[in-house]
Amino acid sequence: MSLLLGAFIIGLILALVALGVFISFRIYHFPDMTAEGSITLGAAVAAALLVTGHSPLYATLAAAVAGAVAGLITGVLHTRFKINALLSGIIVMTALYSVNLHVMGKSNVPLMNVTTFADQAAKLAAHFGTEKVLLFGREAAVRDLTLLGLSLGLVVLVGVLLYAFFRTHLGLAMRATGDNDQMVRALGSSDGVLLTGGLALSNALVAMAGALLAQYQGFADAQMGIGMLVWGLASVIIGEALVGTNRFGYLLAGAVFGSVLFRLLVAVALRWGLDPNDLKLITAVFVFGALVLPGTFAKLRRRISAPVSGDSRA
Amino acid sequence: MLELNGIRKTFHAGTANEVRSLQGVNLNIEPGSFVVVIGTNGSGKSTLLNAVAGTFLVDEGSIKIGGEDVTQWAEHRRAQHIGRVFQNPFSGTAPTLSVAENLALASRRGQARGLGFALAGSHRADMVAAILGLGMGLETRLDNAIGSLSGGQRQALTLLMATWLKPKLLLLDEHTAALDPRSADQVVRITDRIIARDSLTAMMVTHSMQQAVTYGDRLVMMHRGQIIHDVSGAEKRRLRVEDLMARFEEVRRADLLDTSAADLLRARYV
Ligand SMILES: Nc1ncnc2c1ncn2[C@@H]1O[C@H](COP(=O)(O)OP(=O)(O)OP(=O)(O)O)[C@@H](O)[C@H]1O
Ligand SMILES: [Mg+2]
Repeated sequence: MSLLLGAFIIGLILALVALGVFISFRIYHFPDMTAEGSITLGAAVAAALLVTGHSPLYATLAAAVAGAVAGLITGVLHTRFKINALLSGIIVMTALYSVNLHVMGKSNVPLMNVTTFADQAAKLAAHFGTEKVLLFGREAAVRDLTLLGLSLGLVVLVGVLLYAFFRTHLGLAMRATGDNDQMVRALGSSDGVLLTGGLALSNALVAMAGALLAQYQGFADAQMGIGMLVWGLASVIIGEALVGTNRFGYLLAGAVFGSVLFRLLVAVALRWGLDPNDLKLITAVFVFGALVLPGTFAKLRRRISAPVSGDSRA
Repeated sequence: MLELNGIRKTFHAGTANEVRSLQGVNLNIEPGSFVVVIGTNGSGKSTLLNAVAGTFLVDEGSIKIGGEDVTQWAEHRRAQHIGRVFQNPFSGTAPTLSVAENLALASRRGQARGLGFALAGSHRADMVAAILGLGMGLETRLDNAIGSLSGGQRQALTLLMATWLKPKLLLLDEHTAALDPRSADQVVRITDRIIARDSLTAMMVTHSMQQAVTYGDRLVMMHRGQIIHDVSGAEKRRLRVEDLMARFEEVRRADLLDTSAADLLRARYV
């Protein structure tokens, strides 16, 4: 049960990554590699602040701000200096690797002896007076459930705020930028500024996820960002399949569902003996399939139906 | 309303692909004037409109809109004065956003966008009223993705968006060229109606000679990056399709003469 709850919590935390990737990749069609660096950046900043005695809330918010700056730099590289989208992100991601090591002072910072948001959740759980409850006939730790509730609350809050934001004049202009940048310019807004702002928002979410993940796991690590972009993408794709519509609010919710579901699937697969080293390979193959298969199916269907229409003409 | 002085633009300057798209264009458009722009393919019509809109900065010359020098302004900044409809129906709208959302974007052209809700209630009534005015039955489709509409419907909506806030200048670059004849006719009528209603200053590029003689109070003809004819007033009203065809024929002959003369010279001296 605690394994399942753990997967749920991590899935919720990483839903913030999925939301970030949704913004960069789905709204702007921008393959933003910065995410791989900014999740670690978030973890590093949060760890550095927690170790020096700052509160978890402050550390997490500071991490988000740091992520926003990273996204901002990528945006400026791309829009001001006309560097290719992928390359802009890779440049910032590479630079962040060194920055993160500097922020942490070493490649791994344990958070065992400091108060994290997970500890705060545990403290809160202590008020409930009981340590275990029965859930679906199994014992579950109240501490885990509290943490789950808090993570869920946070993700829902972020999701609702994003949904509201993307319905404002500014948010709408951001969505339009990914759709048709020429129109956005013709309507008097700078598509460069709107893209840069979107990347900042995206990376703020990703860094926030990094900060929370570090606090949940109890350490920040220089390597924790590797593969995160593809992970987020996998969540977004699963989410799209789950909700099966193009309506914006549903897609946002889908990214969250996708992240949780994907994490649960991974937990189950690992339980069944999947080698953890193969995880990234499988994720990559999955995303490849999800990106390519719909097109291939469409082509196959056309090929199957083509001779028929040819015959009818003959 | 628009003053162009000695506009020049050369693409790929100094390379084998050098194109002198605008070669010293002077044009002064009075407020409220509706100027039709014609000319052969590649004569520089789109380049002229793009130069005004700020798609690129010109090499030489100055551009003033409503007396304000905008020569160095970026495209999005000039948009506070300019409404545009493009040839491609896909260019003017954001396909995944709804009709209402597209209109909401247009309702803030050139203004700070801010964090107010884009689809706040009061706005909707205005939208319905404006869309009813198009007479296309789109008022029931306010919440549909605009990408699901036909090219003609999208062009009509783009026109509505471009003129939602009264622009100092409306630029139309063959905005009916991609439409079937019936839709093209419908859209150009709507265009004329909106221009008259709001007394807009407008430039409309077209290849339809019928449109060129029917609409507008002034007609300019471009050729090789220059304005070679400019008629207005009574002369423009008298203009018939045959006159325009004759003008095109003149241009064609002059071109032939040019090239044969060049051949002759080349044969002699090279
Ligand atoms: N961005 C650009 N880069 C390079 N060359 C360009 C560019 N824009 C226009 N040109 C060239 O400038 C010349 C004028 O093109 P323009 O599009 O203005 O013609 P047009 O009068 O609009 O023609 P059409 O009737 O076919 O639309 C052409 O030779 C074209 O190839
Ligand atoms: Mg053109």
